[in-house]
Amino acid sequence: MNQKQVDIKAALVKFRELLDGKMRVYMNACVHCGLCADSCHYALANPDDPSMLPAFKINQITSVFRRYHTILGRLLPAWTGSQALDRDYADKLVDAVFGKCTMCGRCGLNCSVGLNTGQLIRVTRSALVEAGLVPRSLQATVDNAINTGNNMAISEKEFVETIEWLQEDLQLELSDDSIRFPINKKNANILYTLNPREPKFFPLSISAMGKIFQTAGENWTLSSNNYDVTNYALFSGNDNEARKISGRLINEAKRLGAGQLVLAECGHGFRATRWELANWAGEKSGIKIISVLELMANYIKDGRLKLDASKNPERVTLHDPCNLVRGGGIIEEQRYILKNAVKDFVEMTPNREQNFCCGGGGGMLSMGEYSERRQKAGKIKADQIRTTGAKVVATPCHNCIDQLNELNTHYQLGVKIKTVSEILAEAIIFGN
Amino acid sequence: MTIKLPDGQEIAVDKEGFMVNPAIWNEEIARHLAKLEGVEELTEEHWAVIKYIRDHYLKNDLAPMIRSICKTTRLPLKKIYTLFPAGPAKGACKWAGLPKPDGCV
Repeated sequence: MNQKQVDIKAALVKFRELLDGKMRVYMNACVHCGLCADSCHYALANPDDPSMLPAFKINQITSVFRRYHTILGRLLPAWTGSQALDRDYADKLVDAVFGKCTMCGRCGLNCSVGLNTGQLIRVTRSALVEAGLVPRSLQATVDNAINTGNNMAISEKEFVETIEWLQEDLQLELSDDSIRFPINKKNANILYTLNPREPKFFPLSISAMGKIFQTAGENWTLSSNNYDVTNYALFSGNDNEARKISGRLINEAKRLGAGQLVLAECGHGFRATRWELANWAGEKSGIKIISVLELMANYIKDGRLKLDASKNPERVTLHDPCNLVRGGGIIEEQRYILKNAVKDFVEMTPNREQNFCCGGGGGMLSMGEYSERRQKAGKIKADQIRTTGAKVVATPCHNCIDQLNELNTHYQLGVKIKTVSEILAEAIIFGN
Repeated sequence: MTIKLPDGQEIAVDKEGFMVNPAIWNEEIARHLAKLEGVEELTEEHWAVIKYIRDHYLKNDLAPMIRSICKTTRLPLKKIYTLFPAGPAKGACKWAGLPKPDGCV
């Protein structure tokens, strides 16, 4: 838990504030049909534990609604199954909404009455964040972003040195001194963003994008201090912090006079900045925001990249990140890219908007306390991957990559996990 | 959670195997954490990375950038990923006794 004093009343005040007409309908909508059981990776991986059922978690939330917002619930708690929010019950809610759900939205998509379960869970997280009950590790990632500009607390100097190092390496690798990784360039066509774990630990995807931009002849730039595409406040439920984090990218794109803001391969970051920011800010950003997958697909369509798919001879399958696909609407671009860049592409089943969460979403990856549950829930994904017979799993999300890497070891899948840009860059015929 | 070292001593780790008290780290612990992940023998190259990460952490309270790891140890990037199958964060930093880094790791 973070250092803030726990304040249960503050949670109830926030809960009330967030109860608009839509939320009140959701609070009364579940008909206990049980259809959600088959759509949740947590429920499927834990068939003997009813508390993993989405309907069970929803009831844990709506019982508090009934206690404070219905007459019968207030007068007859036992009769209506309503529940007062005390410290004990708040801890149970924390365990349910942070520790047993990745807000992947799959149960909502398959719900018989169309209940937006992910939104219900997030509203509850928003209330608990006010009480000071957000898991510490999740809040630490948000705090880093707020205090240092990126979620891994990378200094501007370290960042710039890393980008220069990657530029130099790519120049050597491709024997081309003209390759540039521009930083803070004004009036570029594109302001590109990164997940901080790329410069910190896994920079091959930055080199891949450098190669793609160079080949496509793009006029692009990075920002030296406002480049973080992630937004963990989407997961903590704190709208003020969420607005600040995503808003910085918009401000930076405007300050640099960039033509468009291009979001890196990051599921929740895309959803946060492309779609949710307008809700948090109460206005549209006034700038074109696209996913790098849309950009790469367009490069191929426009003939700006020459590709040789035989450079990627192994069988490749694709994992669809929930917040990019089901929650973000970017569905066909990644398939189009892979079909052009690899010899043998196979879908996993189910796929697209019906795909299962890898188990690492919703901030789960950062919350070590739930790591056993996370690995167990990931079995559904591991089975999906194994069935394809693929040697490579492509996924346009760094959070998914880390979880899939763990599943790869834990379930001995024997696959390589890569970003889409890494695979595309591999297929590029560079030079004349 | 605790794990038991070959000499019988028990050390506290979190659910992902990162040390709860980084201050008590020693080389024996590093060897044992590596073994738990299937790496039986730590080579000179492993130690160069682990010791640099450890020093950097003690001075700065943070894991170093991958660039500094490569520059200091003179190891190429791809070699780091081979040496530490779980990667720089969940492999190298863990064996060097650091707490889990924040972010998408």
